[in-house]
Amino acid sequence: MKALLTRRSAVVTVVIAAALVLSGCAKSVNDSAGEASGDCGSWAIAMHAWGGYTASAQVVAEIAKKELGCTITQTTLDEGPTTYDAMEAGTIDVLIEDWGGGRWKEWLDRGAVVEAGENGNVGLIGMYVAPWMVEKYPDIVDSKNLNKYADLFKTADSGGKGTWFEGPAGYTTIGEKMVSANKLNFKVIFSGSEAALVDGFMKAEANKTPFIGYAWQPWTLHAKIPNLESGHVKFPANDWTDAAAASGLTDYPSTPLIKLISKKLNDSNNPFTTLVKNFSWTNGDQNGVASDLESGMTAAEAAQKWIDANPDKVKAWLGK
Amino acid sequence: MHLRKPYLLLGCVAIWILLGRIFQGKNTLQIDTYENTSFTAFVGRKALDLRGNRTESPAFIYVFNPIRGAIDGFVQLIRNLISVPAPNSVIPIIGWLGVVGLIAFAVFATSQWRTALLSVSLLLACGALGMWQYTMDSIAMTLAAVLLSLAIGIPLGIWAGLSDRVLKIFTPFLDLAQILPTLVYMAPIALIFMIGAASATIATMIYSIPICIRITSHAIRNLNQSPIEASESMGSTQKQTLTKVQIPMARQMIVLGINQTVMAAVSFVVVAALIGAPGLGKPVIEALIIRNVGQGFVAGFAVVFLAILMDRSTSAAAKRQTSFIPPTAKEIKRKRIILIGTGLLALASVFISRTILWAAVWPKEIDISPQVARIANNATAWILDNLYIFTVGFKDLISYSILNPLEVQLSASPWYVTVAMIVALALIIGGLRTAILAFVLAMAIVVSGLWYEAMLTLTQTIVGCLLTMIIGIALGIWTGRSDKAERVLRPFLDAGQTLPAFVYLVPILGLFGPTRFTAIVTGIIYAIPVVVKLVCEGIRAVPHSLVEAATAAGSTTRQIITKVQLPAAKKTILLATNQGLIYVLAVVVIGGFVGAGGLGYLVIVGNSKPELQGKGLIAGAAILLLGVIFDRIMQAGARRSA
Repeated sequence: MKALLTRRSAVVTVVIAAALVLSGCAKSVNDSAGEASGDCGSWAIAMHAWGGYTASAQVVAEIAKKELGCTITQTTLDEGPTTYDAMEAGTIDVLIEDWGGGRWKEWLDRGAVVEAGENGNVGLIGMYVAPWMVEKYPDIVDSKNLNKYADLFKTADSGGKGTWFEGPAGYTTIGEKMVSANKLNFKVIFSGSEAALVDGFMKAEANKTPFIGYAWQPWTLHAKIPNLESGHVKFPANDWTDAAAASGLTDYPSTPLIKLISKKLNDSNNPFTTLVKNFSWTNGDQNGVASDLESGMTAAEAAQKWIDANPDKVKAWLGK
Repeated sequence: MHLRKPYLLLGCVAIWILLGRIFQGKNTLQIDTYENTSFTAFVGRKALDLRGNRTESPAFIYVFNPIRGAIDGFVQLIRNLISVPAPNSVIPIIGWLGVVGLIAFAVFATSQWRTALLSVSLLLACGALGMWQYTMDSIAMTLAAVLLSLAIGIPLGIWAGLSDRVLKIFTPFLDLAQILPTLVYMAPIALIFMIGAASATIATMIYSIPICIRITSHAIRNLNQSPIEASESMGSTQKQTLTKVQIPMARQMIVLGINQTVMAAVSFVVVAALIGAPGLGKPVIEALIIRNVGQGFVAGFAVVFLAILMDRSTSAAAKRQTSFIPPTAKEIKRKRIILIGTGLLALASVFISRTILWAAVWPKEIDISPQVARIANNATAWILDNLYIFTVGFKDLISYSILNPLEVQLSASPWYVTVAMIVALALIIGGLRTAILAFVLAMAIVVSGLWYEAMLTLTQTIVGCLLTMIIGIALGIWTGRSDKAERVLRPFLDAGQTLPAFVYLVPILGLFGPTRFTAIVTGIIYAIPVVVKLVCEGIRAVPHSLVEAATAAGSTTRQIITKVQLPAAKKTILLATNQGLIYVLAVVVIGGFVGAGGLGYLVIVGNSKPELQGKGLIAGAAILLLGVIFDRIMQAGARRSA
């Protein structure tokens, strides 16, 4: 190996080594710039990449940093099992919004994660048509009439049936079951990401082209297409009284969104634990921050704007 | 009577179409996306058990968890050095100015001042894009993965270079690693090593080590034998011959191997973010999810800059001219003084970066990312507004004319018809052994229960490959015949090879909507550069005498291309097709993010829905099987035609 080390590379090595030694002993700016951190400690918040989640998580992060002096890391990662694993491993402490309806049970039973209550947001999932269609075909929002209009939704990809744009991969989706339980002449296309759905709805509304897709509340798209809710298609409610009938799911149930925390955070019982456990706000609050985000504010700015406007709620969360 | 191959192939396809029509819709093995087969359910349960065992099973306690801890620690060490605040501190150990100074010095000392200047401007550009910390994170991740890859790859490569038996054992694994789409092995790795820097580093290493092994063993194998024989005849031990003769002689080639290893690691920067790697991949993926084209491009540019920086600095070191005139004592002295002087400058920059705040943390005021994002957004919006009509028309044309009929043929025919036909094609093109392999692998997909989805992915891959070859061969011929064309296209090809597919996935989504076609176009853009480069090389390798003879005989340009250059470059073009197919397959699966369905969607959904985890893992394996089947058939075809 000696031959690989020419004189030049030896010099380079010496300089880099010297740099390391130097960096060890030179007086660093830390001493001047060091911030006093409180007794809160350092915690990691999971960041999931949809606007609403970002809004909630950022507000919690800003309050924790500014009011409690915590050191907060925000780690972007996939929702669901990925996050639960990270919480079990101790790399994530807070999951501020989970839509999964108990999919964390395995982890909960092992004591790897702890439920920290509802976050106040209620998740409503449904199938929506582009709002312009409601004006033109008022009876389209009744699921019984969908088959009548199936031809409108035909595309090159749907094999002669209507195209049904299903939600992103990680989200709660039952499209195939809904299509068969409601006897619809539609083919489920897996749009795969939120971006794909936003793109679909926006284009359909702008170009007046037919579109039916998965949408939810709270969601920033409602800020971009204000009358989106009018396109919410009404399906017959699930009959939960009969287990067999419930398996033929006809519509999405509404979901109170849950906060999860790591065992470490739960046990430590410090001010940050209180903040996370108390955190709760409305769909309107979240949509407000999220639409500021969409319009180009940074997450920190948008969160701070809301915090400045709602001192009472913040105070209540801090338990003051 | 000996039938000619093309007629046999045509006959086969005709029978296939006929049988497909007759039995259409029977035995397609289609199951609901959210349904499990008993096999996938079984794998899913095992995977869940594995997650639960992390804190108990000895394999985790004594093997996997320590490995994870060690790699995490190593990465964190490098990050503390250059990117994130060190423990008990608010700044990294070396601030931005120090990093720039050190890199400039290292590049200057190993190559020349021009490359050093380029490196500095690229680094500063990353900073100006507001991506300094992400860039440093990516450098830290790349550095960690490359150092570990080299520590494993170079010794193994030397071993494989010395021993034929070792090379024979390695080769199938090396081939496999090159076909493996990255999306596929990330889920199993994350299952064992969890989301984070360790998983990302290991995934990167799986991708880059084979390249390092291949080039190192190639370097050792292709040495001029006479110095080695001389050394042996003078009584050197095997070890002496290796360290004093073989390795020094192979040095330049090994450095090239380092360069390729670095590039492989850099190309992983974005994908690695899917399993929690810190770095530039993060903003790229976020941009895809919140559909912010501008942000995606800003981060994408930083990735390209980083790739150029890594490529130029390492390849310049490999190519450094060694002059045969020994330098005079004066020259040596002058060089030393310059080297020591610049070294002191680098040290000074490190010192400043630790004592003055503006040199420690990249100044927030210097950030042109909003402007760049706005320009990218406006350009994209303009393109979308004005081209949407055409692109939708084009999409529908291709969908109705090729995509839909092919999809019906592949996915709506009974599985046994399609399997039989794949085996028949393998037999005609590649011979008996290839046919047996194709049969076994195809049956494995059938048994896995994901045959239907595999056929959807196959359809998209074939159509993507077809379009790639049409465009790629045309551009390849053009660049192969004209130096000017090559000069014009080269930067685009280089950028296309380094720009992560996720960056252009979003604009393409805008043009074609959430459909299969978006995935196909993304695959085409990803695959075209490599196809063009290969075809160009093939055309250039055609002996001049052939072309000149044809010109003298009065052939037209078209005749020269179709009768001389293309037939002579046939083997390279077949190889290019093979590469094109593998590249398209690797990217078509990320089309699962934008409505393409198929195996890619199952992999993605398996990552986020516990009940479908088994199905996702099996889908990953099925992608690999598809890749191997077609790689083997095409390779065999290329060998036979030679």
